[in-house]
Amino acid sequence: MGLEIDGKKINEAVKTIVDYGGDGILNCVQCGACSAVCPGVRAGMPVLCRLLIRRILNGQLEETIEEMSTWACQSCNRCTEICPQGVRPQEVVFAFRRYQANDLAISTSAFGPLMSFYETGHAVTVKDAAEKREQVGLDGNPPTSLNDEEAQKELQALLDASPMGELGIF
Amino acid sequence: MPKIGVYVCHCGSNIAGVVDVEAVRDFAEELPDVAVSRKTLFMCSDAGQEMIKQDIRDGIVDRVVVAACTPRTHEPIFRKALESAGLNKYLFEMANIRDQDSWVHANDKEGATEKAKKLLASAVGKSRGLEPLEDKYVEVTPNALVIGGGVAGIFSALELADMGYKTYVVEKEPSIGGVMAQLDKTFPTNDCSACILTPVMVEAGTHPNIELMTYSEVQEVDGFIGNFKVKVRKKQTYVDWNKCTGCGACAEACPAKVPDEFNAGLNNRGAAYIHFPQAVPKKAVVDMEHCINCAGREIGQEPKISKKTGKPRYAPCEKACPAEAINRSLEYDPKGEIVELDVGTIIVATGYQVMGKENFKEMAPDSPNVITALQLERLISATGPTDGKFLRPSDNEKPKTVTFVSCMGSRDVNFHTYCSRICCMYMIKQARLLKEKYPDLNINMHFIDVRCAGKDYDEYYVGARKMGINIFKGKVGGLETLPQDRLRVMAYDMESCTPIEYDSDLVVLATAVELPETAKKLGQTVGVQFCGANFFKEMHPKLGPVETSTGGVFLAGCCQGPKDIPDSVAQGKGAAASAAVPLAQGRVTIEPLISEVDQDKCSGCGICVPLCPYSAIKLREKDEKLRAAIDIAQCKGCGVCTSACPSGAITLHGYTEESIFNQIEALTS
Repeated sequence: MGLEIDGKKINEAVKTIVDYGGDGILNCVQCGACSAVCPGVRAGMPVLCRLLIRRILNGQLEETIEEMSTWACQSCNRCTEICPQGVRPQEVVFAFRRYQANDLAISTSAFGPLMSFYETGHAVTVKDAAEKREQVGLDGNPPTSLNDEEAQKELQALLDASPMGELGIF
Repeated sequence: MPKIGVYVCHCGSNIAGVVDVEAVRDFAEELPDVAVSRKTLFMCSDAGQEMIKQDIRDGIVDRVVVAACTPRTHEPIFRKALESAGLNKYLFEMANIRDQDSWVHANDKEGATEKAKKLLASAVGKSRGLEPLEDKYVEVTPNALVIGGGVAGIFSALELADMGYKTYVVEKEPSIGGVMAQLDKTFPTNDCSACILTPVMVEAGTHPNIELMTYSEVQEVDGFIGNFKVKVRKKQTYVDWNKCTGCGACAEACPAKVPDEFNAGLNNRGAAYIHFPQAVPKKAVVDMEHCINCAGREIGQEPKISKKTGKPRYAPCEKACPAEAINRSLEYDPKGEIVELDVGTIIVATGYQVMGKENFKEMAPDSPNVITALQLERLISATGPTDGKFLRPSDNEKPKTVTFVSCMGSRDVNFHTYCSRICCMYMIKQARLLKEKYPDLNINMHFIDVRCAGKDYDEYYVGARKMGINIFKGKVGGLETLPQDRLRVMAYDMESCTPIEYDSDLVVLATAVELPETAKKLGQTVGVQFCGANFFKEMHPKLGPVETSTGGVFLAGCCQGPKDIPDSVAQGKGAAASAAVPLAQGRVTIEPLISEVDQDKCSGCGICVPLCPYSAIKLREKDEKLRAAIDIAQCKGCGVCTSACPSGAITLHGYTEESIFNQIEALTS
């Protein structure tokens, strides 16, 4: 089956992404500079930046919902720095993730950081840094939720009550 | 009592699709002094104009109001219709019910109809106060000035000179030729740029009607169409051009080191230098800003006497000159010489510059092996810094892999949103020239799109693909520097959705075409407007491509927007044709819709003089008293003086007090 060009479907896809924060998407001229600098694309996750935007502009939201590439975005923001048209591709990727997350289409690759977030309040933990922090006279744990049981409990309550609670990973 | 004829136009469905034309016609019948009110499908058609003419001939109307599209394009047509029916053409008035009504209020038909009535009532009111007026004329100086001696300016000058008009060409560099003289070959025929340009430069240099003023800049422009007074500063050359033979001995002897502009900064020239080998005129200059005053030879001082030999010590340039054209003892004026020119028309052809690589931080601009495309032109040119040998700047080794990067600073909201138009084609040209000469060279070109609109251009591009040049769709994201000045290219192939990463020996950036700062200043001096992209603005994007909003000033070449050589030449010749019109007519018509001072009422207070934005008013002595007088050729009819005059002594013809009050009444009732 070839790509079916359906104006209504395209408008809906664009609106969904714009509403989720990817509001520069219509500026895109598909130059590909974002994908040239994207570490995710380089690591073999092709549906990021340029190709993700193309899919959305084709109206292929549902067809792409299970895509794992988007979860490989490292938020480095190089795409937004290089973009000559002010698209801010990283925002588009995040908007698409929000669309995915609302349907619980979350990559298993994201479960580890999510579980860590649930348990400690940090998606990426700092345990390897504890020793170095102590060497320079800081607490091993940063003064965030890691040190605050009350805050951790509040976060967990929020996550349990959110749609992500249904994932069954916490 | 005036007898006003009102004619309402449907403009097909442009007006009638929104405005109730019949209701507007009915409404007009009731307005004071309206003798007849008609409507038709197209007022500008022969039948529409005939309707007006017949009513005039029948004596039914003696003033005409047309409610239609816009006076911008159609006022001249209707004025002519009045004239041919024997009525003074300034007894015509137009209500703009299309551009300013039906087009902007397409969603509000009732509102648009009401607005059309008001606009028409206002026009009818104005027409009641109109008076017959006669055109005025001023004589024209039959000379032309071309500012800029690039390919567009040269062709403008040659056309005008061939038509018999004395033409001055002012060029800021020591030679004419512009950017085209820097190019190696030209697309899509691979003609040697110098081979096709040099004969034309020589023709311009020897034409009896052309006076070249190189190493000169326009400093001041006064006056108006037909009668411009231009002050040109001939910069100080410190070389007697009457004696200089262009042998280049001084340039060879000069020990100073200055980045050579002609070679795009790839090597150095002396402070004494000749612009380039085929320069016209081929004369040396001493660039005093960079001169190191060898042997203590300050300009204007007698030479020092050597203690050893007892003889005067001269600078190497003086000693080298076999024609005795350099004498540093002379007291040169560092400001040069001001020359005043009288010209009837001016063509601005100041050209362009390309952006420097330093603007693009992600493209390793500090690497010597990242160069602009203009630098590559010089690198492969036989008159360039390597005598045409293709060597990379870092170590003079022959590159094995070359990368071309498109759209650097063009199509980019951080720099210029426009497409620079020539880059795709010149990059393909450069790649083809390299591949022809070095078939083993690996050439990778990265484009957003390949834009090849032009005669024989796409065939040239397809030919490049057949030659084995690798072409990728996808903009390069960045360059990383590696040891030994090699470069890592971070690119992307959009067609296979795959990132590309490879090492390259030389990277060529197609940097954007833009208007240089010096040209911006000149634009203000001459009085041309700028467009959104910061080039000079033509009068109309389609129908006035060489004219400007200033009468008698025309545009040619890249100062009006990026364009290639064929388009620059075409526009240069087109500008010459337009600039010759007033020269051929011998006089220019001045619309009488300008201000006039009643000498009996004027008190000579002079309030109007500094208010006039066109410096058209001067106080002159009349019967031993000072009185304001308006130069008809400079007045643009803005009305500032009329409204400011405390004695009510100034009338703006076509906008009498009666007319204005009638309009206010109509619009506020």
